[in-house]
Amino acid sequence: MTSKSQVKTVCGYCGTGCGLILEVEDNKIVKIRGDKEAPVNKGQTCVKGAFAYQYVHAPERLNSPMIRKAGQLVKVSWQEAYDYISNRLSALKKDFGPDAISMFACARTTNESNYITQKFMRTVIGSNNIDGCNRT
Amino acid sequence: MGSNTTEAHPIIGNRIKKAAKGGLQIVVIDPRSIDMVKSAHKHLQINVGTDIALINAMIHVIIKEGLYDQGFIGKHTEDFDALQAKVARYTPEYSAELTGLSAEEIAEVARMYATSSKSMIAYTLGITEHHCGVNNVFDIANLALLTGQIGKKGSGIMPLRGQNNVQGAGDMGCLPNQLTGAVSLLNDDYRQRFEKAWNVEISQKVGDTQTRTFDKIETGEIKALYCIGENPLLADVHMNHTRTLLEKLDLLIVQDIFMTETAEMADVVLPAKSWGEVDGTYTNTDRRVQRVRTAIEAQPNVKEDWEILCDLSTLMGYPMSYQSSEGIWDEVRELAWEMYGGITYARLENEYGIHYPCPDESHPGTKILHERFHADKEAERRSSFVPVDFTPPLEKPDELYPFTLTTGRRYESYNTHTQTRHYAAGVKIKQTEETLDIHPVDAARLNINNGDLVKVSSRRGSLTVKTKITEQVVPGLVFMSFHWSEVPTNVLTLNEYDPISGTAEFKACAVKIETIA
Repeated sequence: MTSKSQVKTVCGYCGTGCGLILEVEDNKIVKIRGDKEAPVNKGQTCVKGAFAYQYVHAPERLNSPMIRKAGQLVKVSWQEAYDYISNRLSALKKDFGPDAISMFACARTTNESNYITQKFMRTVIGSNNIDGCNRT
Repeated sequence: MGSNTTEAHPIIGNRIKKAAKGGLQIVVIDPRSIDMVKSAHKHLQINVGTDIALINAMIHVIIKEGLYDQGFIGKHTEDFDALQAKVARYTPEYSAELTGLSAEEIAEVARMYATSSKSMIAYTLGITEHHCGVNNVFDIANLALLTGQIGKKGSGIMPLRGQNNVQGAGDMGCLPNQLTGAVSLLNDDYRQRFEKAWNVEISQKVGDTQTRTFDKIETGEIKALYCIGENPLLADVHMNHTRTLLEKLDLLIVQDIFMTETAEMADVVLPAKSWGEVDGTYTNTDRRVQRVRTAIEAQPNVKEDWEILCDLSTLMGYPMSYQSSEGIWDEVRELAWEMYGGITYARLENEYGIHYPCPDESHPGTKILHERFHADKEAERRSSFVPVDFTPPLEKPDELYPFTLTTGRRYESYNTHTQTRHYAAGVKIKQTEETLDIHPVDAARLNINNGDLVKVSSRRGSLTVKTKITEQVVPGLVFMSFHWSEVPTNVLTLNEYDPISGTAEFKACAVKIETIA
């Protein structure tokens, strides 16, 4: 039996903010259409919004943390990656100060993730070295 | 101005075109003959990077002919005299020389803008991606203030933003000088509000922009970079230089959904959840906060961005934990209540989107900013004119590099194309690879046929690309996007920046074109 659902969301490409309805079958997006109730686009979509969604299911998606070992990126557990980052960032902060660390935030992720990103920089690291792609 | 709206913001483009059928007059100001020109009343095909010459001449005409809003200027602005003095030499004839336009068409557009009951300026990166990007924006603001075309429906200044949540990321405080709610971190009261809630002392040292970060990687002051969902190696100017800098880092952490060109250089790569798998809000180009919802169960072994950062934070001695995106949003609403206090998930469920500022739950949201300009009371604060001078692009064509290259986006692709490589089956894509868009006159002179491979070089690098002969560009001007890693356009672009914003001059550099035997 296939499971089908429809989910209302907002497009993840440009800044217009079009409302979309995603048709989902067996945990795969199978169709996207413009949401007629959306105040921004009133049902319209562009080619990217309607059709460029297969990346979500692409086999090339990253599926494991990786650490460079002997020149090569190799798959590791989340715990190993977390420990590595935590140790390295802490050591660099201790040796060179918090402003030796910088963060590029993501203009594609949610407000909620962005709030946490800057909170991480300003609390854990103790620096205001945070910027996004506003300038590109 | 400087917005290829139909390709970069297609739905906004549709709405503008529809309005044109209903009587809206459109003036396209762009060096290329873009699609919107077909719906436009007028096209000012200016030379690349001469926006200030044009705007100053428009201001000159508006002042000379008395078309400005004297009451508005007296009540709401400062430094009008300085503006008047600055534009004195920018006669339409003088600016016609600089811009490549005629004095008559400059004056005509100035009159149209000033005398219309409602005029609006929409712009994108064609304005900001110059060494004088901030001055370009100042001059647009000068024009709007001069004529009072701001703060009322159908007027104003509209920067069309390129990423789904670039507005929100900045508003949330992912900027080196601002906290959540877009308030300066040097504002003591506001900063203390966050210090109390977070139980830390926040550094009062303004941080570095991305541009400054690259400078400080070069000097060795910055040792570690944590990069989330961005591909600066391909997206930023002067790629060969960017690569050298990233190699110099002691620690490069990349958190993304694909193995981007930047991720391939990383010391640690973290797999994140994608759109479709995440839950939360985005803020669009007109300050509208809307819900993005989880549609599918995430791929195995990936985590949401905030979840990763909370895990790391806790491990590094500052415990952070949230049950849901809504829990985080409620913290945002509490701390930056002036902007978001009234925007609950429950309201977004019913109202679809709400424009901030929206301080409390009974507030309807703010569709039009700066309405104070037309309110029936004494002005509390005045807006200064900021007079600016025209400065030409930093690398002009010469004998060795005789063409100006300008860069931009194409309809079907998005930024560094990591996502738009994956279209649904059966979709016919017109532009499947990068091209050098060149005018027929130049192509004939260089003996190039449509589709020929050519070598394009600047002082910083070179690449091979197919040509597309098109009258979208003018003789002497060529165009490329930066979507395809196979043709990394940013090996050519110039690493010169606006001194205030740090934005690079993506829109103009000098190149030469050689045929390949």
